[in-house]
Amino acid sequence: LAHRVRSTMMIMKMEETAIVWPLLQSDLRPIEDVLAEFNSKFPRPRHFTVCSSLSLLLQAFLELSYINAHFAIHSLYTGNESKVIRTVSGVYTHRLGYIVISVLRIGTNRKRDVVLFQDLMILRSTDRLIAFAIMYQCYSSQKPSANPFVSEMINAACNEQAEKYERAFLLHLLQWNSYNNAKEILKLSAVDYIKSFDPSTHEFPDLGELQREYGNKTDSGPSSHIFAESALKTLLHDPDVPRGCDPNSPEFDVQSGGNSKIGCGDRDEAVAGILGSSTKGGLTPRWIRPCPPRYPVHQSELLWIDPDNKHELVWDDKMCADTSRGATVRDLLVKGLKVTLSPTEQEDITSELANDPKLVYHCGITPRKLPQLVEHNPQIAVEILTKLINSPEIADYFTALVSMDMSLHSMEVVNRLTTAVELPKEFIRMYITNCISSCENAKQQDKYMQNRLVRLVCVFLQSLIRNNIIDVKDLFIEVQAFCIDFSRIREAAGLFRLLKTLE
Amino acid sequence: ASSDAARDGSICEDAIVLSITSALAKDALSYFQSCKFHECIDILIQLKQKKHNDPKVLHNIAIAEYFRDACSNSMKLLEDLNSVKKQSEELACTVKEQVEAVNPGTNVCVSKDQFDSTVTSFNIVRIPMIFLVSAMPFAVVKAITWFHLHQYTKSLSILVPLFRNIEPLDETIALQICFLLLDIALACHDAVKFLAVFEYMDKAFGGGSGSHEEIGSTMQLSSNQVSKTSSLLSSAVVSDTLKSDLTAAESSLCEEDYENVLAEFEAEKRMKLVGHIPANNLLKALGERSVLTVDLKLELQLYKVRFLLLTRNLKLAKREVKHAMNIAQKRDSSMALLLKSQLEYAHGNHRKAIKLLLVSGIQKEARTSGIFNNNLGCIYYQLGKYQTASVLFSKALRSCSSLRKENPVKLFSLSQDQSLLITYNCGLLYLACGKPLLAAQCFQKASLVFCRQPLIWLRIAECCIMALQKGLLEEGNTSLDRSEIRLHVIGKGKWRQLMMEENGFVELAGSSQWPKLSLPLARVCISNGMYLLKESLLNDSKSDLESTLSLKINETKETSDHGEANTNSDLKEAKGGMNQDIIQNSLSAFKDIRSRENQLIQQALLANMAYVELELENPIKALSAANSLFQLPDCSKIYLFLGHIYAAEALCLLNRPVEAGSHLSAYLLGQDDFKLPFAQEDFDQWRMHASFDCEETSDPSTGNPRDFLKPEEARGALFANLAALLATQGHHDQAKPLITHALTVLPNNVQATVTAVYIDLMLGRSQDALARLKQCTRVSFVPGRLDVKAS
Repeated sequence: LAHRVRSTMMIMKMEETAIVWPLLQSDLRPIEDVLAEFNSKFPRPRHFTVCSSLSLLLQAFLELSYINAHFAIHSLYTGNESKVIRTVSGVYTHRLGYIVISVLRIGTNRKRDVVLFQDLMILRSTDRLIAFAIMYQCYSSQKPSANPFVSEMINAACNEQAEKYERAFLLHLLQWNSYNNAKEILKLSAVDYIKSFDPSTHEFPDLGELQREYGNKTDSGPSSHIFAESALKTLLHDPDVPRGCDPNSPEFDVQSGGNSKIGCGDRDEAVAGILGSSTKGGLTPRWIRPCPPRYPVHQSELLWIDPDNKHELVWDDKMCADTSRGATVRDLLVKGLKVTLSPTEQEDITSELANDPKLVYHCGITPRKLPQLVEHNPQIAVEILTKLINSPEIADYFTALVSMDMSLHSMEVVNRLTTAVELPKEFIRMYITNCISSCENAKQQDKYMQNRLVRLVCVFLQSLIRNNIIDVKDLFIEVQAFCIDFSRIREAAGLFRLLKTLE
Repeated sequence: ASSDAARDGSICEDAIVLSITSALAKDALSYFQSCKFHECIDILIQLKQKKHNDPKVLHNIAIAEYFRDACSNSMKLLEDLNSVKKQSEELACTVKEQVEAVNPGTNVCVSKDQFDSTVTSFNIVRIPMIFLVSAMPFAVVKAITWFHLHQYTKSLSILVPLFRNIEPLDETIALQICFLLLDIALACHDAVKFLAVFEYMDKAFGGGSGSHEEIGSTMQLSSNQVSKTSSLLSSAVVSDTLKSDLTAAESSLCEEDYENVLAEFEAEKRMKLVGHIPANNLLKALGERSVLTVDLKLELQLYKVRFLLLTRNLKLAKREVKHAMNIAQKRDSSMALLLKSQLEYAHGNHRKAIKLLLVSGIQKEARTSGIFNNNLGCIYYQLGKYQTASVLFSKALRSCSSLRKENPVKLFSLSQDQSLLITYNCGLLYLACGKPLLAAQCFQKASLVFCRQPLIWLRIAECCIMALQKGLLEEGNTSLDRSEIRLHVIGKGKWRQLMMEENGFVELAGSSQWPKLSLPLARVCISNGMYLLKESLLNDSKSDLESTLSLKINETKETSDHGEANTNSDLKEAKGGMNQDIIQNSLSAFKDIRSRENQLIQQALLANMAYVELELENPIKALSAANSLFQLPDCSKIYLFLGHIYAAEALCLLNRPVEAGSHLSAYLLGQDDFKLPFAQEDFDQWRMHASFDCEETSDPSTGNPRDFLKPEEARGALFANLAALLATQGHHDQAKPLITHALTVLPNNVQATVTAVYIDLMLGRSQDALARLKQCTRVSFVPGRLDVKAS
């Protein structure tokens, strides 16, 4: 299909054919004039198409295979060969009729008929000159080697059987060596040029020389691959082989009338037909290109629908609502940062927090304020931290706890937390390390305070170990060194013994 | 003392204002609930003046206006919500500044009063600040609106941050966020995301808490009483409603199927199975279901089943759906029945699925009848009854559109537009019926929802290719240029810049005007598909939500490990809880399925790409597509065959016949015979890929690969193409027997016939060529113009 699409783009329109054909026939006008008229009537984008058609037309005698095929099909269609012969015999001398008859004989005596083909050309010699001139002129702004039809021109220029004036004409167009008279020649009419031609003054190069000069472009046209090539090559070099029926082949348009037209078709009609439908293709072997199968529809691709939940557009019912929710707790907690709260006050906080599980997130205790709360109200701090354990911010609270000064209250909070919730191991480790270093730093200050702190840490550690909160192995060396450091204190010795039993 | 008095005075004043405004707020709410939106808005505007643009008032105005306009202007709602957001951000900022200005140090006590008054006057009491803005209901409403517009990514971008900080949020809002996330995850087939949210919900709201159990038992009691009284009626009622449904649907459906279903029903009724089905009056209207009133336990169980269906763990789904039925038995079982129907559908038990679908009763409600028709259409599609399926799908679309026109719009029901999903199904159906233009229209409409899924792009490309085969393409009328590099000209004058665009994602879905079907469009679609597929492969390795949520999974895992240490695991099973391992296994199995499916889609995309590039006469690209096909692991033999054929043709077009020959000779057996490039089993396996073992074997005639070569024909194509290749090389004698063989398998193939004629002519046997043309039924002799029908 793509092939057909391309060929419709390449085919000349009927009205274009009607312009080209008279131009080719104007053999008495200066060629220049003809070219100027051509230029004025065809926009640049159509040049390639027109030249393709002309190129085919110039080879028309080689392309007889098309007509051959047409005839074969036609006889198949009518099933009556003798009738066809009778029909055409009346116009035997007419060129096309002649061709048809010749072709018919291919089956019986090919050799003889091929000879007949040799002088059968659809275009007259003057037509050919003008056609070549058009092909040259369309691409005259570029180097000859850039002309897509240069190979046709080279081939024609080297064709020994062709007329010498035609070959010389082409060499002028190609500007080969001493042939540089193109401008002068184009001022003549085609008839005058042939008349004035002097064959004795000319020498002709061979094909190889020309090909070297003009880029050795043996193949032509925009698409060139082995399929196309095999089609073109056989057209050029094997004229006597019938080439069957290309669906796009041009000649079937030539005589669209059926039987009666074969005989009476005239040259004009044939040329117009070729011009009107030619493509550069020929019959080629065809490739089977299977279409990929449709991707199977899995049942999960077919969408089964479940009614989903009604996702409501929520009315904000907090609008203008009483904002005192949790106000008492917040007030009490602000107080609790400074002083120890009374048991009833503590109870109030606990019960309010229990009533509203989300209140803890809004009660005003930020990580920064936590140390103050721990110092004054460790019970409440434990309560709040336990409720915040799922908060995304809990790590910040732990950090605050680790970095605050070591004290009885902070240790109490941590100790209680260990039994209430699961604490991150990292945090406990850091806290213990912190405890130990606090004890060591306290040395310089106050012996009494230090002793107190060490005893606290020892009790704290023993509690952690007994409750399986920490794995001793993780901290063994650190804790052992601590015990030895402070072995004078009874609790440290006790801790040491505990470690030994666990070892 | 004077300041104290002043303060008391202001407090007193505040209290009065508060009581007035809260009374107004109550009025507004009651108008809202009774759908009197104009009155509601009037009151809200009064409140707005009194409360100085309080974001909460603005929020409610936005919602009320949206309902007043019959839910027609979602974009306006989103804009309004954005300004609400801006407003509350500004407020939060001011409060923060004031607090910090007054309270620079740690001395909290001094600033306490000021802080409180600031806070209360702005009606924002919450600390810490970060929750202030994001947790407001407008964010959730925005997410819901995007969800209803099927813009899941946008919805997720709001919800995921909220989910990360879900702990401090109020329970109702947290639940809303979670359910929305679950539905989005289901819509996106994202099992990982689903599981992360589900695990959290199960922990936070679900099992373990005794309160739900108690509620359940009390409800059980009451509903038991009801069902006892109605049990005498129930069987009669059910069969009556069924019969009426049947007659209603009869006009469009195949009678014999219904006869069978009816017969099965009668049989089951005798076995007293129908007794479980609650009578119609007990069904709580499905359309009125609401997050805030649903029975959480049932809801979570239903979602669990949906997860298992999504991950295609049918065995476990069967068990869990039973459990869901047990819970639902006491309440609303329509959803559970629907899921059961889906399960049977997935199993391929189509008759059972139809039966359960009817029993679920969702066809009785206007709100869900579209869903009913769609699901029934899916079943009929699977049965190969495309005519019936098409009637059902169009019915479904009709009821969707009538739902949209419903007036007045029911409160709390943003029109749930499922029509785009149904349209996708229609597209598949038209494609199956060989109507590419209609199918493409459907897919293009549905692309609003599915444009991030590679498969829809493949489908549109298939539409183009099918249209090409049927000669429906209008050439030269494509807005997309054939050129592959496009330069965007940006700016003017000396600022003019050129931007290269290549190989990216071409945004087609957004544009209202889709280009007509064409091969260049197919090319763009395929490259979009490839792009998305690569993207999803990348995302598989690093999922944004996955990483943040996996933390939560691990947490849950730890706690559940602890739990298992204490409790007997058998006990857990009995309670219907899902074992962590089973879930994870099912998740990883699903991941495997998905990656296998992605591989298959990739193969299909590459094969189609090679084909389209050949059609566009671009052999270099075709060759590279085919070559990437060969590099895929576990590539299907069918696609390998196509790859070799395409590569060989491309190489021929590139004048590399020897390499082309090597692609074909890969299938050579000895000197002059080919092996079958693929077996029928390969084809069947590919067609049923990742399908479940059907209990009812599906009708083989329905899935017949009409559109593709049989293995024997594929071998014929190899013969013909090798013959063509040899012919171009001038080896006509060698080519002759090959093409003869090809024609015995493919007697009416146009290409093979032409090649044979060519070879005959080249060998000078024009009579043979004529004979061949006579034999070929696809040659027609048209007066004046010979034509060979294009394949």
